[in-house]
Amino acid sequence: MREQTTPRVFTSDLRDERNAALLGVALGVTFTVCFVTGVLSHLIQDPPSWFQWPSRPAGLYRVTQGVHVATGLASIPLLLAKLWVVFPKLFAWPPFSSVAHLVERLTIFPLVAGGVFELFTGLADTHLWYPWPFGFRAAHYWVAWITIGALVVHIGAKWATTRSVLFVRDPTDAYLSVAERPSGTHRQRESAFDRRTFLASVFAAAGAVTVFTVGQTVSPLRKLALLAPRRPDTGPQGFPVNRTAATAGVVEGARSPEYRLLVEGKVRRKLVFTRDQLLAMPQHEATLPISCVEGWSTTQRWRGVRVRDLLDRAGADSAAEVRVHSLQRRRAYRFSDLNRWHAHDPDTLLALEVNGEPLDIDHGYPLRLIGPNRPGVMQTKWVTRLAVR
Amino acid sequence: MIPPRYGRAFWIALPIGTALMAFGAVGLVGDMGVGAGAKVGSWLVGADVAHDFVLAPIACLVGAAAARALPRWCRAPTQAALLTSGVLLIVVFPALRGFGRDQVPDNPSVQPLDYTTATLTALAAVWAAAGVWVVVRLATAARGRRRPPSRATPGDHPTSPR
Repeated sequence: MREQTTPRVFTSDLRDERNAALLGVALGVTFTVCFVTGVLSHLIQDPPSWFQWPSRPAGLYRVTQGVHVATGLASIPLLLAKLWVVFPKLFAWPPFSSVAHLVERLTIFPLVAGGVFELFTGLADTHLWYPWPFGFRAAHYWVAWITIGALVVHIGAKWATTRSVLFVRDPTDAYLSVAERPSGTHRQRESAFDRRTFLASVFAAAGAVTVFTVGQTVSPLRKLALLAPRRPDTGPQGFPVNRTAATAGVVEGARSPEYRLLVEGKVRRKLVFTRDQLLAMPQHEATLPISCVEGWSTTQRWRGVRVRDLLDRAGADSAAEVRVHSLQRRRAYRFSDLNRWHAHDPDTLLALEVNGEPLDIDHGYPLRLIGPNRPGVMQTKWVTRLAVR
Repeated sequence: MIPPRYGRAFWIALPIGTALMAFGAVGLVGDMGVGAGAKVGSWLVGADVAHDFVLAPIACLVGAAAARALPRWCRAPTQAALLTSGVLLIVVFPALRGFGRDQVPDNPSVQPLDYTTATLTALAAVWAAAGVWVVVRLATAARGRRRPPSRATPGDHPTSPR
């Protein structure tokens, strides 16, 4: 086998196997966390028959999706640093030294391309910025499988190297002075920026990203969320909106005196309510988070009618499931499904008020769904019909 | 560079990883169609090219220039601050340019801040931290000159003899 050489223009001794291995382990952890929480979010929004997402604990989705976005953002400096460390290998010559090496190098493309793609599309999505000509959700989801597959191959390929590098005492450890270090193939230079400092700086950069964005979901840190696209305390009635009534095209319908809520489907009695009739029903109050898939979340005090009270009044089955329809006619999320647990949870409400005021039209006036442990996109606004199944 | 060797872990991981990649690729085309799938593919290539031939060369040039131009006493803190500033600018750049906000003009809760001020504030905090680091290094170095330590401290050796 011929030995590979990399261009001599790359002189930094920070580009060694140990830095590559340590950053690789960190990225292995963060990408796995993003993958698991992301697939979970996908299953919740689009459940197959074998998957039932519980309605409790109420704040679980807030945590998993907050972790998904925060971990993805913190992965940006880790991935860039890792790619900087291994960058000379891109130009190694000859390009491969065995068939196995060729196969491994070919899977580096989906790994790097997928990693950069996932972090970029994820970051842009948190800003509601969609500069690409395809649907975000499907692309982000399927490319995640490609990326994680390439990561599995990469971990297999680097398993032995990583183990030997991490568990064997490092000859270039920082407490040896530069003069004592074994000389490498490139010229020995004083490096004030030694490996520990380099790794500490990369993790500090990841920490800085987190500090300046995580306040979009961790309310006590909201004042530090200087670089986040959302503030959990900014918007109509003091919290953010994802889709406004005007964008959804529901302003007229929501304000119309003809507005009604219908309860129909597999029920003994079809029911029709005006807003005033709903207000005359027993009202229930619940303090629940609204947890957006884009990573912001905020807890508010909601008041309205329990979905399960409406189901009881309509004579629905105690195991009934419900599709909640919005006034919105077009686009995704114009309805959402309540499985058995969500439909009958005592805190799953059709809310009329938030924090003691009637809902703002951008928060779903006259009536919105709000329930425990649900993605924000499934807290349907401008509710006009419950289809019981 | 020593040619890599592949152990059992690679031959176990290869079929599993390949199956996952195939699942993703088939799912992508099946779910989105061939046309949109091809567009995603071209964006994947674009993501790779943008990193390898735009972002990485710029980062290497800036890093190399900083390594050569900066005096030793402030090199590490400056490089760390440059890295952090670059990453923070990547994270905030859609908001700085108003990308996203321009799609929802009626929704002021998207990107609600003055991001120029916000970004400058965050960068000021980063560079202030780097400044503190420089001062601590210089102070440690000055103390070390007066009273040499009995043994070297791992990871922090601004005073070690050159």
